[in-house]
Amino acid sequence: MNGAQHILDAFHRHNINTVFGYPGGCIMPLYDALVDDIGVEHVLCRHEQACALAADGFARASGDIGVCIATSGPGATNLITGVANAYMDSIPMLVISGQVPSPLIGTDAFQETDILGMTLGIVKHSYLVDDAQALPTIMEEAITLAQSGRPGPVWIDVPKNILLTDVTAPVATKTDEPESQCPDIAEALAMLRSAKRPLLYSGGGVSLARAEDNFRQFAQDSGMPSVVTLKGIGNAGKGHPHNLGMLGMHGSRAANKAVDECDLLFVIGARLDDRATGKLDGFAPNARMIHIDADAAEINKLRLADLALRGDLNQILDAFTTALAKAPLSICDWQKQCKTWHTTGGFQAADNEESLAPIAGPAFIRQLSKIVPDNAVIACDVGQHQMWVAQHYEFDHPRHHLTSGGLGTMGFGLPAAIGAQFADRNSTVINVTGDGSFMMNAQELATIRRYNLPLKLIIMDNQCLGMVRQQQELFYKNRESHINLDDNPDFVAMARAFDIPALHIERTDQIRRGIQAILAYDGPMLLHVAISREENVWPIVKPGGSNKDMIDETRRTSASTKEQVA
Amino acid sequence: MSPQAECSTPSYNLNCRMQSEAAALERLCQVVRVRGFRISQMSMNSGNEHLEIALTLEGSRPITMLKAQLEKLHTVTEVVVQAQVGVRSASA
Repeated sequence: MNGAQHILDAFHRHNINTVFGYPGGCIMPLYDALVDDIGVEHVLCRHEQACALAADGFARASGDIGVCIATSGPGATNLITGVANAYMDSIPMLVISGQVPSPLIGTDAFQETDILGMTLGIVKHSYLVDDAQALPTIMEEAITLAQSGRPGPVWIDVPKNILLTDVTAPVATKTDEPESQCPDIAEALAMLRSAKRPLLYSGGGVSLARAEDNFRQFAQDSGMPSVVTLKGIGNAGKGHPHNLGMLGMHGSRAANKAVDECDLLFVIGARLDDRATGKLDGFAPNARMIHIDADAAEINKLRLADLALRGDLNQILDAFTTALAKAPLSICDWQKQCKTWHTTGGFQAADNEESLAPIAGPAFIRQLSKIVPDNAVIACDVGQHQMWVAQHYEFDHPRHHLTSGGLGTMGFGLPAAIGAQFADRNSTVINVTGDGSFMMNAQELATIRRYNLPLKLIIMDNQCLGMVRQQQELFYKNRESHINLDDNPDFVAMARAFDIPALHIERTDQIRRGIQAILAYDGPMLLHVAISREENVWPIVKPGGSNKDMIDETRRTSASTKEQVA
Repeated sequence: MSPQAECSTPSYNLNCRMQSEAAALERLCQVVRVRGFRISQMSMNSGNEHLEIALTLEGSRPITMLKAQLEKLHTVTEVVVQAQVGVRSASA
């Protein structure tokens, strides 16, 4: 068995049966081994960046490790954005890149790049294999490491000669993670019980730890009002009575108000990202903080925790739920207050009664949320549409919402949706994108067609880079700079060129029929939705500003949430 | 940076033990730089499997945060930090 065959063997042993890749010179021995392989489906994307983002989407939707493969040089460098995206959102990923033969490394050989050096800051760990006999150990370690603790991408750079060398070293045995001990929650429980206005603040760590069920039980039994980060959307499930929705720059006024007024912030699986907290000086000024996370380096990173618990979220949440079952919290007044704020300061979109009116972004997303099945996966891109989805789509599970949170990668949505569709060929997967983001990986329409994926694509087309235009309007004296996209191609014709049928809608009365038409079609289909160029995402906090100083749609002036929500 | 500003920047001795691998030093230095510290002195001893690296660092961010980030590196086995005598620590 040569190095290439050994890599496939490791895939088999770890039940990795789908990989996303693109062949080329130095990775050819692995592609040669794939010819005879049964059990690993190789998905050929049309750009290596899309391979990495599809592997990311596969991992997010399934909870399993995503795998991407590329050749040396430009193949490897094209992976970088997708790997950085996975790193920022802690997605378990294995990256295999070919490298020039060992004797040629350092000679500026054809398609040689120092990919190990280039990627040090965006991987959990990385290897340059210099001995074929080390490959069994490296493969085993890499696959385990990518998925353990706080997950992340692990990169293995394999010179071509190593792929061709016989591997005689024995297969490494799977390493089991040591069983974690649940930390003592007594002090945290006492803090929780003494709080009069405790607030649950959860993020992407909940689903990364596969702790969704325990989280919901805890959220329900504690009765704590709850806010979520962009990656935590769906944690509480659909219809959780105390969920105030997303906080932060485009969060609801109710969520930011609750953070402002709470006296205890109970943070679970979140890293207090600047887009969520706003200016830290004004963030939760009256609150003590309990921070629960798997990663010790996140504790006290941006704000000192009054108490930190590190460990397995499932165990910790279960311990709290058990304790609260014996003596529930008494926070009725606080619950009522938050509910009032939610009623007056939650995300709201006027359902336009005028059927011939142009389509409003939030109203479209609300209709989409009502029409598609609860278990549909929505893969967003980055921009205004992403925030409208976060604000107005009601998710039942965090794995149904694929969004590029940390890196904010335009072009993420389409390949991520492809990955999600491979994770479950029978699920409804919808890529909600903008005209700017769509064009960043539009070549993947060919991948959809090749594999006949029943993906649905929705382009919310405002003929510009809407989020940039909005910030130029609000914070740069309306001096528009290079945001105009009114020379976009005809997206309907473009989809049809890839043999993907497409529809165009532009009026409110066409929304329902448009969505129903693409859902009913047995195959991939694109819905082109023309929306106003001038529409903004509300509310908004100026980058670097305090969440208290949200700018509201009606007034477009800075005002405190106290005034707005009261 | 003015001499006065240099004097006020906290300084630390950091000793790190990590597994010997091709990119070990780069990995360590990358984290030090990106987390806001400057290396003013550096020495290294290499054994069979481990590297013993001693750094003198300057930086105004909490050193405990850098320590936590370095400890996350898969090949790092131990990090010991000491504030240099006579210099006020940002995190202590």
